Amino acid sequence: MPRYLKRVHKRTVRSVAVNTFVWVFLVITAMYILAPLVFMFTASVMPAGDIMKMPYRWIPKGFYWQNYWQGIRGNNGSFIYLRNILNSLIVAATVTVTTVFLSAVTGYGLAKFHFKGRHIAFMMILATMMIPFEVIMIPLYLIITKIGIQNSYAGLIAPFLVTAFGIFLMRQYYITFPDEILDAARIDGASEPEIFRRIILPNSVPALATLAVLTFKGQWDNLLWPLLVAQSEEMKTIPLYIVRFTAEKHTDEGAMMAVAAIASIPILILFFRLSRYFISGAVVFSARKG
Amino acid sequence: MKKFRFKGGIESRKNRWGWVFIFPSLVFFSFFSFYPILNALYTSLFKKKLLSLKPPVFIELDNYIYLLRSPDFWNSIRATMVFTLGTFIPMVIFSLIFAQFIVSRKRFRKFFQMAYYSPAVLSSVVVAAIWLLIFDPRGLSNQLVNFIMNTPGVDHKWLANASMVQISTMLVYFWKYVGYFTIIFIVGLTSIPKSIYEAARIDGVNAWTGFWYITLPLLKPTTILVSIMAMLQCLKTFSTQYLFTQGGAPIEPINVVTLNLYNTAIRDHRIGLASAMSIILFCIMLFFTWLQFKTARSDETSY
Repeated sequence: MPRYLKRVHKRTVRSVAVNTFVWVFLVITAMYILAPLVFMFTASVMPAGDIMKMPYRWIPKGFYWQNYWQGIRGNNGSFIYLRNILNSLIVAATVTVTTVFLSAVTGYGLAKFHFKGRHIAFMMILATMMIPFEVIMIPLYLIITKIGIQNSYAGLIAPFLVTAFGIFLMRQYYITFPDEILDAARIDGASEPEIFRRIILPNSVPALATLAVLTFKGQWDNLLWPLLVAQSEEMKTIPLYIVRFTAEKHTDEGAMMAVAAIASIPILILFFRLSRYFISGAVVFSARKG
Repeated sequence: MKKFRFKGGIESRKNRWGWVFIFPSLVFFSFFSFYPILNALYTSLFKKKLLSLKPPVFIELDNYIYLLRSPDFWNSIRATMVFTLGTFIPMVIFSLIFAQFIVSRKRFRKFFQMAYYSPAVLSSVVVAAIWLLIFDPRGLSNQLVNFIMNTPGVDHKWLANASMVQISTMLVYFWKYVGYFTIIFIVGLTSIPKSIYEAARIDGVNAWTGFWYITLPLLKPTTILVSIMAMLQCLKTFSTQYLFTQGGAPIEPINVVTLNLYNTAIRDHRIGLASAMSIILFCIMLFFTWLQFKTARSDETSY
């Protein structure tokens, strides 16, 4: 073999080795990521005795639906989980609607109107991003109890009507929207609310969808705030039910995973159907300029 | 002349609409962001009990002094710091590696992106519940570790041993969020123009040198962004630790500030003390954000 060919050969051997290493690494780490998910779903259809057996059986022998029944029924037979699922849906849906609407309105106002003080207003809104919810939750709780809406939907929803993040996202989106179109509509005699409803909203569906998906996910996951304000079992949300159900003595592992699976299925369906909005939501900040 | 005045009227009328559009949100933030933070600052100077009829007593900085002398609070600071450092540094490094590896693949890119990201969409409570079973003495974690290290039947006490339970919470958090940051890095990586690498290849630069001297410097803004976000998230961690302690894990090693804050306010009803704690947490987060922005400011990247 000529010398130059030998060198090429050596290089290909090396790149094949690197290539294989990368594949192996990716596959193993993907298994680490996916295994707990697969575990949740397989364990949710296995009797408790099988789940804690060594080695774990990744393919269930049958479909042990009793787990789901027990999870929904609860240990005391109250079926309160159904109510809690409904609560989660109501809260998450309402918060999503108000956040998307108010963020769009405010973002539009900040992006397209040159009124005095808008820079200060924008800075103030951005500043609230620096205030973590965990820091203000106690005063918020005191406010909510003072108004007397603790342990109600209003109390669960009130602190999340709009987010600075949402306003920021929508403002960035609208700032590039051509002014000519808006001015043309104004000349045609359209009122400002009409312009917003008929031109701005229909033309920002991707951004609205991204924000909607992120907001819904955030509320579906919310634990800390309901823990403070939802005192009665009827007002609790899914995360609170899971916490309580997990801590109960009579809960077996299968039912625990069934409850977790029920909570995850809606959000996973949303994720697989609308993954591009989830992904564009994750990169909102990195895509910004300057 | 008349026409001109009319035009000015339109302009200012239009701008009044700007105020109308942003007004509801400003009212909201005044009530639910600015007032609470000022209220927390104010309450932190009082001895105040939840549900108590006694008027709060002004005690100046006694709450802060109490906290700074309290070993329990220092333990929370320690737990938060250990958790944050132990989670966010591996998270930044591994998400960068994952992103670089995924971007270098021609096939299955989408699959890997979705797979890594999927845990991030689950709720933290579900995640903690799954891992509670995995860390069970008879669970998967012991099986896997014993299989790899060839130590059959050993219990590694994932949730019982003080240092193991800290590692467990880190593993869970890392698992949940590493994909989220991988996605951000992927976007950063794909925005670097290919021509730079082609030019470098012609100059005889190999992949590793290219990564070290081209990719990393150009990726600096993304890296800083990811580290700030990851760190702030870690400082606020609550759900995993809460559910683990509810599930029977010892509280002391994982009693992070937010968990301590919650217990002080809701279980012990000590609102003033909890407020002081939240103000300290706020300052810590501001400090770290400032620090990272300061180290980041040195130069801007342009391709």
